Amino acid sequence: MELFTPDFGLIFWMFVAFAILFFVLYKWGWPAIMKGVESRADLIDKGVEYAQNAKEQLDHAREQADTTLAEARKQQADMLREAERMKTQIIEEARDAARKEAAKVMDAAKVSIAQERKEAEKQFRNEVSAFALDIAAKVVRDELADKKQQQKLVDSLIGDMEKQN
Amino acid sequence: MYLLNDILRKFSVCVIMAIAMALPVAAAASTNTENSGAAINPKEIIFEHLGDGYGWEVPFNHHMRMPLPVIVWGKDGLHCFMSSKIDHGQTYTDGSATFKIAGKDSPYKGKIVEIIDGKEYKPWDFSITKNVCALFITVILVILSIMSVARWHRRMGHKAPRKFVGALESLITFIYDGVIKPTLGAKALKFAPYLLTVFFFILYMNLLGLIVVFPGGANLTGNIAVTLVLALITFFITNFMGTKHYWKEVLWPDVPMWLKFPLPIMPVIEIFGVFTKPAALTVRLFANMMGGHMIVLVLTLLIFIFGAMGAAVAGATSVVSVCFSVFMLLIDVLVSFIQAYVFTMLSTLFIAFGQEDGHAHDKHGNTPLTEIEQK
Repeated sequence: MELFTPDFGLIFWMFVAFAILFFVLYKWGWPAIMKGVESRADLIDKGVEYAQNAKEQLDHAREQADTTLAEARKQQADMLREAERMKTQIIEEARDAARKEAAKVMDAAKVSIAQERKEAEKQFRNEVSAFALDIAAKVVRDELADKKQQQKLVDSLIGDMEKQN
Repeated sequence: MYLLNDILRKFSVCVIMAIAMALPVAAAASTNTENSGAAINPKEIIFEHLGDGYGWEVPFNHHMRMPLPVIVWGKDGLHCFMSSKIDHGQTYTDGSATFKIAGKDSPYKGKIVEIIDGKEYKPWDFSITKNVCALFITVILVILSIMSVARWHRRMGHKAPRKFVGALESLITFIYDGVIKPTLGAKALKFAPYLLTVFFFILYMNLLGLIVVFPGGANLTGNIAVTLVLALITFFITNFMGTKHYWKEVLWPDVPMWLKFPLPIMPVIEIFGVFTKPAALTVRLFANMMGGHMIVLVLTLLIFIFGAMGAAVAGATSVVSVCFSVFMLLIDVLVSFIQAYVFTMLSTLFIAFGQEDGHAHDKHGNTPLTEIEQK
């Protein structure tokens, strides 16, 4: 059967054609493809690794940011509370100070009033005594000729009055 | 429901197209039958289509052929002329030599012969026949395709290839990472160029053989010369690049002494195996591809065989035959890929046998394959 007897010509050309094909692909085809595929696979591997690292870092950073944020919130709350506390304290203190000041003013006023009253009393007494003296002098002038006896009498009288007071 | 309608519509379109395609063929066949004035001879038609030829058939025309160069080394030297000169049994005299294509009764049936004194002699025939021409077309297509991938890698660097280049690259990595690397291990890169070339060469030849008109249609891988050459190259690579351990395994295998000493049973079997491996490669690819082509041809010829029984039978057979041959062609597309894959895989395996180093083999009784996989 002719199907099973190989043709010499076809065998010859097959060798030639395959040799050309193999040479061309061996020289310019396969090495470029193999190298290209390999280096691209490396690049992809590296890229995946990089992406994983980046994701890890990102997760870490996010965690950190979350903790920082929570801390900040807490601090803010603390600060607000502190401020509130300080506010009430300041108001309290101010109120105290005001009270104290008021009390001081009142005391001072009292003291000055007392002093003034004393002074007024003193003045009044002096005036009264001078007035009384005048009156007494006027009264006694007639009765007492001797000035020395008169003065003694008057002094004892006033001393009695003070003791009575 | 919509999907089912869609499938039905597509199927009916296919059937109508198949019938439309079958009609001109039927017309051509009927004119042919009228011309020859005899019933068709299926065997002759099948072998004509499976075999080689000095011209290339033109669709829908049985008399015109695309002329191809004939190169022969006759008794008095080299002769080159176009095949149109010797069409239809004509003789052609080139200088002092006369050539014709041998007739049906000649032992050189269908081949070119030199006629000297009325006797036929077979010259050395280097003609660019249909198969050789298809071979060159395949080589050019494979080079263009693989170079497109190589060019991509050279120019575009690390960008991902798409479309045709991407498809080819995935095929390359499928063969390289799926077949060559697991089997050959560290030596994969050394033999990958040959194995990948073989894979793509066979795949392209197979697929081109399924195309009915010009750039395809040659039954290349269904021709034993082609598969023989490919198997021979694998055979040479296996044996000439084989390690010392490989030859020791062939000539003095690791079996009980009585199997090899007085009667060298195992060495004989092993040496026999060295030659049956390429023979198996040759026949497997050849028989598979030729079988596929033959079934499609037979199914198509059924139309003309039943055509003699009348229009109704011919019509019914046409529909059935066309459906079956479309189905067979689709299977052949799959077989084209599988056979290219199997040839590459077996070549890889045979080459790997020749590359055994043996230390793992001796100590643990492992085959080097598993050793490589473990690595």
